[in-house]
Amino acid sequence: MKIELDTKQKVYRRNSGFIESLHLDIWLLMGIIALMFSSGLIVYSASGGDINVLHRHLIRGGFAFLLMLAFAQIPPNLMRVYTPWLFAIGAVMLIGVLLFGEIGKGAKRWLDFGFFRFQPSELMKLVLPLTIAWLFAHDTLPPPNKKMLFGIFLVLFTAGLIVVEPDLGTSILIAMSGLFVIFFAGLSWRWILSAIGLVAASLPIIWNFYMYDYQKQRVMTFLNPESDPLGSGYHIIQSKIAIGSGGLEGKGFMGSTQAHLDFLPESTTDFIFSVLAEEFGLIGVTLLLVTYTLIIARGLYIASQAQDNFARLTAASLVMTLFVYVFVNIGMVSGLLPVVGLPLPLISYGGSSLVTLMISFGILMSIHTHKKLLTS
Amino acid sequence: MHYRHRYKTEAEIAQQKKLFRGRLYFALAFAILFFSILLGRMTYLQWINYNHYHAMSEGNRISVEALSPVRGKIYDRNNILLADNQPVFALKFSKDKITNIDATFHHLRLLLPDIPQKKLEKFYEHLKVASRYRPAYLPYSLTEKEAAIFAANSYKLPGVTLTGKLKRIYPFGSTAVHAIGYVGKINIAEVKDIDAKRYQGTDVIGKTGVEKFYENILHGEPGIQQVETNARGRVIRKLETEPAKPGKDIQLTIDIKLQRYIENYLEGRKAAVVVIEPKTGDILAYVSSPGYDPNLFVDGISSKNYSALLHNPYRPLINRVINGQYPPGSTVKPFVALSALEHGVITSNQKIWDPGYFIFKNHRYRDWKRGGHGVVDMDRAITESCDTYFYELGLDMGIQMIHDSLTPFGFGHTTDIDLYGESKGILPSKEWKRETKGKPWFKGETIIAAIGQGYFLATPLQLAKAVAIMANRGKIITPHLLKGKQLPPQEQIPINKISNWEKVIKAMMNVMHGSHGTARRYTQGLPFKMAGKTGTAQVFSLGDEDYDEDTIKKTLRDHSLFIGFAPVKKPKIAISVIIENSSVKAAPVAVDIANHYLSQLPKDE
Repeated sequence: MKIELDTKQKVYRRNSGFIESLHLDIWLLMGIIALMFSSGLIVYSASGGDINVLHRHLIRGGFAFLLMLAFAQIPPNLMRVYTPWLFAIGAVMLIGVLLFGEIGKGAKRWLDFGFFRFQPSELMKLVLPLTIAWLFAHDTLPPPNKKMLFGIFLVLFTAGLIVVEPDLGTSILIAMSGLFVIFFAGLSWRWILSAIGLVAASLPIIWNFYMYDYQKQRVMTFLNPESDPLGSGYHIIQSKIAIGSGGLEGKGFMGSTQAHLDFLPESTTDFIFSVLAEEFGLIGVTLLLVTYTLIIARGLYIASQAQDNFARLTAASLVMTLFVYVFVNIGMVSGLLPVVGLPLPLISYGGSSLVTLMISFGILMSIHTHKKLLTS
Repeated sequence: MHYRHRYKTEAEIAQQKKLFRGRLYFALAFAILFFSILLGRMTYLQWINYNHYHAMSEGNRISVEALSPVRGKIYDRNNILLADNQPVFALKFSKDKITNIDATFHHLRLLLPDIPQKKLEKFYEHLKVASRYRPAYLPYSLTEKEAAIFAANSYKLPGVTLTGKLKRIYPFGSTAVHAIGYVGKINIAEVKDIDAKRYQGTDVIGKTGVEKFYENILHGEPGIQQVETNARGRVIRKLETEPAKPGKDIQLTIDIKLQRYIENYLEGRKAAVVVIEPKTGDILAYVSSPGYDPNLFVDGISSKNYSALLHNPYRPLINRVINGQYPPGSTVKPFVALSALEHGVITSNQKIWDPGYFIFKNHRYRDWKRGGHGVVDMDRAITESCDTYFYELGLDMGIQMIHDSLTPFGFGHTTDIDLYGESKGILPSKEWKRETKGKPWFKGETIIAAIGQGYFLATPLQLAKAVAIMANRGKIITPHLLKGKQLPPQEQIPINKISNWEKVIKAMMNVMHGSHGTARRYTQGLPFKMAGKTGTAQVFSLGDEDYDEDTIKKTLRDHSLFIGFAPVKKPKIAISVIIENSSVKAAPVAVDIANHYLSQLPKDE
């Protein structure tokens, strides 16, 4: 059964059609373009019709799109080879942040390289799931328990480096992207349930000894936003008003009074969903969620078609990370979850998170379009 | 790193595939389930609770601003402006834009040192607790120079802007202040009484005088402006405007030139003068001297200024015309005499012998003239103001008749002038004494009541009204300050014989022009005939019921009183004058006022 293939040209199946020859997946691409188009409209509206904001947004979107295109060309095997080195670099930079980091908004999250500033945790969003997938690359799923434990250890180590920055929200999301790999690798349900039980039991301890006041404040506000309507609950109340007042059909494009009159905070970034809901109503919201569902379903399909563990675990984990971002963001602005600074994937005004996201789409497409002639 | 590859069996591959597929299906189901939860949440917010959030969104967006109405102006009877609204510079503080309140006030203090320190401190305290989203105005009107200084330096004071507002101004200052009154900041007690809706956006209200009495007319109705505001309360655009209805202008009966003539004439003495047009009841002059400057009160008076007014021994804040209650003294004699004639108690020819005193129950009631007036009839009793004649007459009439016949002249009850807080004075009677003192009436008290002493008290306004009714030959008038005021039909005091009235008026004319008249020396060369009556009131300080005559006499002299009207045939004015402590005599003041006023009236009338 063992077949070593060392000539690259003949390793991969030929892709048919123009899109596939560019190593792109037509279905994912359509979903992404649809969302990016809507994003342009809503960012323009949320900014109060600021053409400069739209320009910057399109430039960033275009740049991220090119990155996706570039990553789609890298074969998964090559990625796998570099993954451990990237992880080592990421870990060193995270430690560097703690030692020499820039302080912004009371937390050390940035590394200043003189000519540009870099947030290592952003890199880790991609590298951690890749690393765990790399770990299980040559195992038969489920991998042996020892490896699983080591994987969990790596996840907790990375999340631990970020949580002390402090950046609780990001560390939880990164940990989840790693844990998704372990989940898809086949961690037994018994372990999963007991881990959930353990976390639930330790919540009071974390609350009392390990949470900062502002984090506690966020949770308290989330539990009862009306308790402080002009203070920290204000944003959630105003966001709910924006969403609710959109009704079935919405107030129409450029019709968001909540955003235009400054009642909504961060209306082009974290709270952009509220603007969308206000302007396009329940119909617009449903269309958005359906689009996300289709993208996720396509992503999971790509994972199911992947030919090795590294590819399938990476693909599945990246797709579920996208799901978590969407769910947490919409849950947050609609008052279901506490406020964490998190953009809505593909819709929020572009930033480093858009770059990360588009790279992960590039990886997905690469996985789908670099099919070996033989499976291992 | 190096991996030792283990070859997978078909079974292992199949099992792995099954496991991974299972996890993928689970993940997809998980995602769909949680997206469904989001969709449920959205349905809850956007569909089920749409009305609630729609209303909240509208409430967010639209705020209603009140437009304060322009206060009605006040004119005198000749259309001279007495109360105006002047655009002034004011400082508006938008708290949301002020980054540092302490620094702002520090800069302001350096920039505009003329703003009273106390006012700034008070406003600072107010601003610290005020709403962030509502602008507050410093209650201080900037001069043009200050406005220019501020404008040049406004960049140092973010959140403080120079704006215009309308400020009440009284161009004549202290002249007629007790009649016009003033406006001032609405205080906590007033907030409870006023209709909050009508006073949105208004920060002043009439405090005294006609400014208070006609507040409803002057105030107007506020307009409403719907504006779209942003989260910081700043107005983005105006949606709908219902303009404010300005308050109505009012015209007073006051002749401000006459008023000013009288006030200048009195030179700040403690005095009260009321001039009434007898035919209409129009109050031509309403003088309570000394006055004070109402402009001090508009922006809120400083405690230093207020304390100075409050502790001024001349007591300028007291409205002597309606609240100064003085014993009317001899000025009541014509009314008592008329009553006696009309009731047939006495005839005008009946004479008495005045030895200079009157004895009743072993008590000697002295006449003001030592040695007495000799043989006295009614005419002479009024002309020379013979006390003894009225002692005896009063005893013959009895207190009930005096009370009943003086009541229609306005003694003992309010005149219903269009001002608040008028005093009633006292027209004593048996009933009154039983009710207020709980004691029976003594006849000796009737004797002194007949010459306007004892319990008898009247305000200058009541005296003016009474003498105007005399001038009208019994037609009752209601003194008023609003020109053309709708008044109930004027009643007429029933006349038994009109000759009785003419006899009394003739006697009053003799007071002024007769060879023995008490005011004869002031009427030399007067181009018209005047009727009047002098009087003297024994002093007791205002509002003090008990007094010690000995100590008072050392420090205070009696008040000098005068009532009168002119010309006698066709009366154009009725006057009452009270000069406290007789710093000058009251009669010449009245004569000069009448002369000044009548000489400038058109001749044909």
